[in-house]
Amino acid sequence: MGRIALHNIRKAYGAVEVLKGIDLSINEGELVVFVGPSGCGKSTLLRMISGLDRPTGGTIEIDGQDVTRRSAADRGLAMVFQSYALYPHMTVWQNMAFGLQNTRMPKAEIAERIADAARLLEIEPLLDRRPGQLSGGQRQRVAIGRAIVRRPTAFLLDEPLSNLDAELRVSMRAELTALHSRLGATMIHVTHDQVEAMTMADRIVVLRAGRVEQVDTPLNLYNVPNNLFVAGFIGAPGMNLWPATPETKGSFLLEGGTKLELPHLDLAGPVTFGLRPQHLRLDENGPLTAKVTLVEALGAESVVHAELEGGVRLLAVLPGQPDLALRSQIRFAFDPAALHVFDAQGQRVKTG
Amino acid sequence: MTRAWAFLSRRRAGSNWDWTDIVTFVWLGAGLFIVFGPALWLVLSSLKSPAQLSEFPPTLMPYEARSVIVAGYENPLPLYKVTDDAGTRTLAEVRRVGTVAQMVDPADPGTIQKINIANRTPERDIGFSWSNYTDPFLKFDFLNYTKNSVFVTTMATLITLLTNSMAAFALSKYEFRGRGFVIVLIVATLMIPLSVILVPLYSIISGVGLINSLWGVILPTVATPTGVFLLRQYMLTIPYELLEAARMDHASEWQIYWRIVLPLTAPALAVLAIFSVVWRWNDFLWPLIVLSRQEVYTLQVGLNAYAGELNVQWHYLLAMTVMTMVPVVLVFIFLQRFITAGIAGSGLK
Repeated sequence: MGRIALHNIRKAYGAVEVLKGIDLSINEGELVVFVGPSGCGKSTLLRMISGLDRPTGGTIEIDGQDVTRRSAADRGLAMVFQSYALYPHMTVWQNMAFGLQNTRMPKAEIAERIADAARLLEIEPLLDRRPGQLSGGQRQRVAIGRAIVRRPTAFLLDEPLSNLDAELRVSMRAELTALHSRLGATMIHVTHDQVEAMTMADRIVVLRAGRVEQVDTPLNLYNVPNNLFVAGFIGAPGMNLWPATPETKGSFLLEGGTKLELPHLDLAGPVTFGLRPQHLRLDENGPLTAKVTLVEALGAESVVHAELEGGVRLLAVLPGQPDLALRSQIRFAFDPAALHVFDAQGQRVKTG
Repeated sequence: MTRAWAFLSRRRAGSNWDWTDIVTFVWLGAGLFIVFGPALWLVLSSLKSPAQLSEFPPTLMPYEARSVIVAGYENPLPLYKVTDDAGTRTLAEVRRVGTVAQMVDPADPGTIQKINIANRTPERDIGFSWSNYTDPFLKFDFLNYTKNSVFVTTMATLITLLTNSMAAFALSKYEFRGRGFVIVLIVATLMIPLSVILVPLYSIISGVGLINSLWGVILPTVATPTGVFLLRQYMLTIPYELLEAARMDHASEWQIYWRIVLPLTAPALAVLAIFSVVWRWNDFLWPLIVLSRQEVYTLQVGLNAYAGELNVQWHYLLAMTVMTMVPVVLVFIFLQRFITAGIAGSGLK
């Protein structure tokens, strides 16, 4: 159980339309990540699914039933809030029991469920403490525990890792993924961190300005981005995007003046070329000449910031620790098959 | 004790006196005198006998005349220190005629000495007139007044906390049309003093038959704009996500109010409780108007009975004023810790 389907969901606050018609179907047991820049409507969408907010249009189905008008409590979902929203005046145990007591569950079963969840999350020693006495990571676990004891059809997680420090975030990320595979429940995770999205998701939903830009597995998003936005958003460091115009067949002039010979491409009109920094390599006979402006040596790899002719920026990730002098001219080559091409509307152009 | 002294004598630069130390001590000392002086004066005066209260110049401590039982006299005789040509000695007064007192030496009860009253001063010990306190309770109706006051204060405070917090909850956590207007309206009633609405309020209370009933004192005062405003401002700081979490947890709106919002508003409730107790306990004008039968008098109205048109029984008035202060002081002592804890606690997430 735990199929969620959204049909043409719209939400407007006064004249401001935040969600502009979202269609999405989430399969049972899937871990779906909503990702997008701030203000893209991802949290709003999650709130629509949770029932805390009502959409202005469209329908929400859970397991084939229309729940659009149903209250939050009756949808059988559990939510983990960004601030955890633990009740500060209750102990951890009471926090987890509150939702169950409200449904008049027998005491023995409440105790059993809490014990199970506490064992799973390793928070047994904390059950008598109050949230104020817990560290950030422990609060996070309690918030998840409060969701688990409900045995919901789906978990909704609203940026649950954003309040943790970097190190803890990485370990909680792994734990959440492990938890998902153990529970086998549907999870919807909202984040603005694309690394989080890439590492955790079965499928990623990329949102921008209230619209779904692309829904796919992490690697497909990385390898075959549908449009310029997804191409630029997914992957770190970001993809190089160079606007270009075709001169003659198979020959293109990049903005700034660099010429590229790409005989396999036959395109008309202005295009944008996208190339991941990892796909560039040093080559004395390469087609791209650039001036080094900054080298970030990370040990295993180096991020090279450079400028093409006309000051167009280029980012390259080179393996190892190449010896590059600042302001020196270097040449890059790349595999033409790795090049992404987008048309004037920013949509992907199929090549080859 | 040594720690207390170390705390009180702390100085800015360790062992040296800085000018700021002197200013601080003088400032705080003056503040202590201004704030605490009258209260101390009241307490000390409340233990003085009526004769001593009318004495001029007044004394700080309550005294009572030292007396001695002298053989041959039925009642104890007051002692005086006499200083005249014959030297300084202690004598007991038998009777006084004009400016001359007939006195005896307790060691020699047979001989009457005639002493000019200008040459003697009374011998006195520190002594407390506890009867100032016991009489109003034993001989007058003060126990009953106290019961009435306690009832009015407790009920009014409980109802105030309940109704004000419900109003504050609605006004802080629900979005509805006209919310801002309602808040402004409630706060605007602060501009109307009781004396302006005294007459209409009286006709309402008399219309519903609550004259001479304690409920007539309680009910008109329970909805306080200050309380609603205070609680609302505090509730605004409770994150909305907590309410949403509760809503996901199957909590009804009443449960959200009762089990989530109310416990978290405890520090503000404590503040309002203190205010309410002080207001209701010290309330005078409204109870005076509503209550006209002795049996339903509250303490403040009862106190008024000591200030008659012709004479004021200061000793009872002072003693009962101290008694009326006690609950307010106790409330502050006990709830103060709660307030500081609440303020410190609200810094937590």
